[in-house]
Amino acid sequence: MLVPAAAVSAGGCAWDGPMSTLIARSDVARDVLDLYALITWASIVIAVVVFGVLGYALLRFRDRPGAPLPPQTQGHPWLEIAWTIGPALILLLIAVPTVQVVFRTQIQAKPPDALEVVVRGHQWWWEFSYPGLDVVTANEFVVPAGRPVYFALEGPDVLHSFWVPKFGGKRDVVPGRRNAITVVPDTPGEYWGQCAEFCGASHANMGFRVVVATPADFDRWLAAQRAPAVDAGAAVAAGKALFAGSACVGCHTVRGVSTGVLGPDLTHFGSRRTLGAGLFPNALEPLAEWVRDAPRLKPGVKMPAFAYTDEQARALAAYLLSLE
Amino acid sequence: MSATRVDALPHAPAHAVGGVRGWLTTVDHKRIGILYGVSSFAFLLIGGLEALIIRAQLAQPNLGLVSAEFYNALFTMHGTTMVFLAIMPLNAAFFNYMVPLMIGARDVAFPRLNALSFWVFLAGGLFLNASFLFRTPPDVGWFGYANLTLRPFTPSPSVDFWNISLQLLGLSSIIAGVNFIATILNMRAPGMTLMRMPLFVWMTLIVQFLVVFAFPPITVGLIFLAFDRFFGTHFYNVAAGGDLHLWQHLFWIFGHPEVYILILPAFGIVSEVIPTFARKPLFGAPVMIYSGILIAFYGFGVWGHHMFAAGMGPVADAAFAIATMLIAIPTGVKIFNWLATLWGGTIRITTAFRFAAGLIGLFTIGGLSGIMHSSPPVDLQQHDTYFVVAHMHYVLIGGSLFGIFAGLHYWWPKMTGRLLDERLGRLYFWVMFVGFNVTFFPQHFLGALGMPRRIYTYSAETGWALWSLVSTIGAFILGVGVALFAVNALRSFRHGTLAPADPWDGRTLEWRTSSPPPPHDFDEIPPVYSRDTFWREKYGDRHGTKPVPRPPQPEAHGIHMPDPSVWPIVAAAGMLAAAFGALLQVALLVAGVAVTVVALFAFALEHHRNPAHADQVGELGVDHRKLAMWVFLGSECFFFGTLIATYLAYKGRSVVGPTPEEILNIPLTTLSTFDLLMSSLLMVLALAAAQRGDRRQTRLWLGGTIVFGVIFLGFQAYEFIEFAHEGLGLRTNLFGSTFFVLTGFHGAHVAVGVTWLATLLVLDLRGKLDVADAPKIEIAGLYWHFVDVVWIAIFTLVYLVP
Repeated sequence: MLVPAAAVSAGGCAWDGPMSTLIARSDVARDVLDLYALITWASIVIAVVVFGVLGYALLRFRDRPGAPLPPQTQGHPWLEIAWTIGPALILLLIAVPTVQVVFRTQIQAKPPDALEVVVRGHQWWWEFSYPGLDVVTANEFVVPAGRPVYFALEGPDVLHSFWVPKFGGKRDVVPGRRNAITVVPDTPGEYWGQCAEFCGASHANMGFRVVVATPADFDRWLAAQRAPAVDAGAAVAAGKALFAGSACVGCHTVRGVSTGVLGPDLTHFGSRRTLGAGLFPNALEPLAEWVRDAPRLKPGVKMPAFAYTDEQARALAAYLLSLE
Repeated sequence: MSATRVDALPHAPAHAVGGVRGWLTTVDHKRIGILYGVSSFAFLLIGGLEALIIRAQLAQPNLGLVSAEFYNALFTMHGTTMVFLAIMPLNAAFFNYMVPLMIGARDVAFPRLNALSFWVFLAGGLFLNASFLFRTPPDVGWFGYANLTLRPFTPSPSVDFWNISLQLLGLSSIIAGVNFIATILNMRAPGMTLMRMPLFVWMTLIVQFLVVFAFPPITVGLIFLAFDRFFGTHFYNVAAGGDLHLWQHLFWIFGHPEVYILILPAFGIVSEVIPTFARKPLFGAPVMIYSGILIAFYGFGVWGHHMFAAGMGPVADAAFAIATMLIAIPTGVKIFNWLATLWGGTIRITTAFRFAAGLIGLFTIGGLSGIMHSSPPVDLQQHDTYFVVAHMHYVLIGGSLFGIFAGLHYWWPKMTGRLLDERLGRLYFWVMFVGFNVTFFPQHFLGALGMPRRIYTYSAETGWALWSLVSTIGAFILGVGVALFAVNALRSFRHGTLAPADPWDGRTLEWRTSSPPPPHDFDEIPPVYSRDTFWREKYGDRHGTKPVPRPPQPEAHGIHMPDPSVWPIVAAAGMLAAAFGALLQVALLVAGVAVTVVALFAFALEHHRNPAHADQVGELGVDHRKLAMWVFLGSECFFFGTLIATYLAYKGRSVVGPTPEEILNIPLTTLSTFDLLMSSLLMVLALAAAQRGDRRQTRLWLGGTIVFGVIFLGFQAYEFIEFAHEGLGLRTNLFGSTFFVLTGFHGAHVAVGVTWLATLLVLDLRGKLDVADAPKIEIAGLYWHFVDVVWIAIFTLVYLVP
């Protein structure tokens, strides 16, 4: 692991940044980092040889005034054979583990003991559902550590790509096709993901969060998600009334209140860390701005602007944040 | 072609037509090379400006210099411009200027087609950039993945600007490909066997084959996109059974060979520059040739490495991974051979040499990151991140652009008659080298830190800000370097030292004529004794024995240079007008098409008004035109192959509507197939008669072929109308889309053939054809038989096979 460490230290203090590919938190990611280290070493060896010879030749064989013509060597068959076979052997060294890891990590079939998460990539947000477990959420989801998670990828609009760098592996969301990727996350924590296939105006704004929890915490989360929307009572009554009486219900589901399916499910919106698919922290101020004018904050977003007053926007935001 | 006798004097008067009109109607390969060079450099600057705005926007998080939508257009245009309007035509500038000189020829095989290639390229470049004026620049990425490019997701004409300009550029490239293959195979000076050709000419030849075979798949992919957008077909419509992988496969089957199209010329330049300045022959020249051929051949087998995230399955992933690693072997061999050329040499450092040596180092880095990408598990962490951006710029700038700059500095004296300032050259070489590395090396880090591509901004929490800022600073430094080159170039015209014919003590034939060469290139066709033949003349072989000089052989009828022609630029203008018309106004479209058709007829017949030349046959003993037709038909194999493969891939995937079994009329189609086969027989008879000089029989059998062709078209029209009545149209279902596009394009080819034969028949009836014109009938016949064979394939695979 010396090489990735060297690479990360060369990369500056952000080596443990939230999207870093050099931190492995799943079986796939660890396999990948090992292979990456191997290839990096091989590359360094080749680079040292090439640059060494190049540098030496440029210094040693300079033209001097009055120098005669050099010997007009045309070639040297054995040397050429050697430097054809040499690289071929190095490539073999890379190819064998590559093929092994490919067959370990690129299988599309679902392992029998895996937790299935259906991922639907929309322009520009992520829908996550757990078939058979009656959980639907958006832009943030939880999985248990130490168990295979089978991500089944679907899309109703354009190509997207599902990528959590610290889990390794990346798989496109291809409308009309069922792609899948299986990983075993091994370390509890919060991880970032981002769409990795250009999908239009707000491609840059299509992030998500995945929380890896202990099995016990995961079960708790599942139970909370299955429950209908929390009713925080009088404190958010104004906001709730606004929500239920306006266009929100046409696009968003809050279980027990509304059934719209064009936009993200908001039943437990308050429990999420971010808003707008990773764009802003999920807090009152940014949320109030968002409900008033999402298009200004996220280019191309399908959610329109609304003519709420400041007070109305804050009430609505308070209500949404109460939906834990 | 028409001829102007030029007395064999050195520096004979330049052109019959002077000034601007001279440039607009030129068919001189040197002038066309300069036209390519100047326009592509302008596009390079535009693409560079787009890059600087991109880098400025990314210098810090959430900068807001440009809107998201405009940013998306910027990277789309930057990529499309740099690939198609900068690197490819800069390479073409050298193909045009240098290849005839290096093979000891006076021009290319088809000078007017050469001009047509340039003007169509310019039309394509102008059309693409006109999208800015219409405020709808393409914003779907240079690779335009479906289905983002379909109307529901991108309703504006931005995609159509992109589509049509790419088709124009593809047309330009394929025409040039055919031209240069015929030139290199047929017009080499006596004694220049293929193995004695300079490496740059070899790489050019290989690239032209790549072009003619790689472009047809994307041509078809773009046709499918245009039909989906304009006519409601379903090629990329998921709801109707379409598969979005189709676009990706077609694009990358083109796209991967395209990267070899971009780099091989640079490799060829380095293989000229390094030996010249090391004063030694290229080490292992035959292996350098074979490795170039292998790279090109294998290059068609690795496209899937762009699709490791697409879900092709582990078998396909592993196969493409291994194939990609295999390509690294011939590529690595080239690096080692260049190093071995330097080893033991006497190296003179010039600006040209610096860029060539720089390529060796920088391409090695790009190649190594390429090896990382070849391993799918590793690639999946790098795909669509800045790691790939780093890789591609190391090979495209460190490779292609540095190679082009090496060529510019090496051949500048030959092309302009002036030397570039070496001290200024040293300065901006280092500015560019440092600027380039500061821009792109940190992008490896950004990729490793997870920064995706094609994002207009990012948050501060990601930790990408530091290296993004560094990269931006580097980009501006690189820009300064390029600007300094432009200064050097402009100054050289007034203040540059006058260049002798052979300023570098060169090895190849271009150095054997003046700087710049006279219009007819060489006063006498030069003798060829070996590879590096000019060096052999100067210094002799390994034992210092110089070859016995051959006595001068003045051409018996003097030197004939082709006359200028106005039709290439007129045809291109017609195409440009038609392109605008397709997006704006049907009347303009019709007018543009009409102008193009008239211009193409005038082009073809202009030739005809003048006596044929005996020197249309080259060393292979094959007429230029026949060789060109065979190459073109090779390209057409890929065109129809792609259409047929799509039909087969989509078979059975229609969601609704009539199926083939329900609607195809086999008995009727058997009749029309028989008719087309018989027409080929008649064509054979027509050619035999033409070769005998029997005008009456020629006209009879030509007429017969035309009649049978028209009957075939009649059958097809009947079939299409019947199908419409029975409920199968272009947009009914996937079967309708694939069937009508495939058979429709085949029918269009038959129609073109009928028109061609009719033109020949009319010429014959007016007494304009004689036995010496039999090759014209022959090549029309080749085309006709090919279209026939394609029909046999279609009839079998579409109609007969259940």
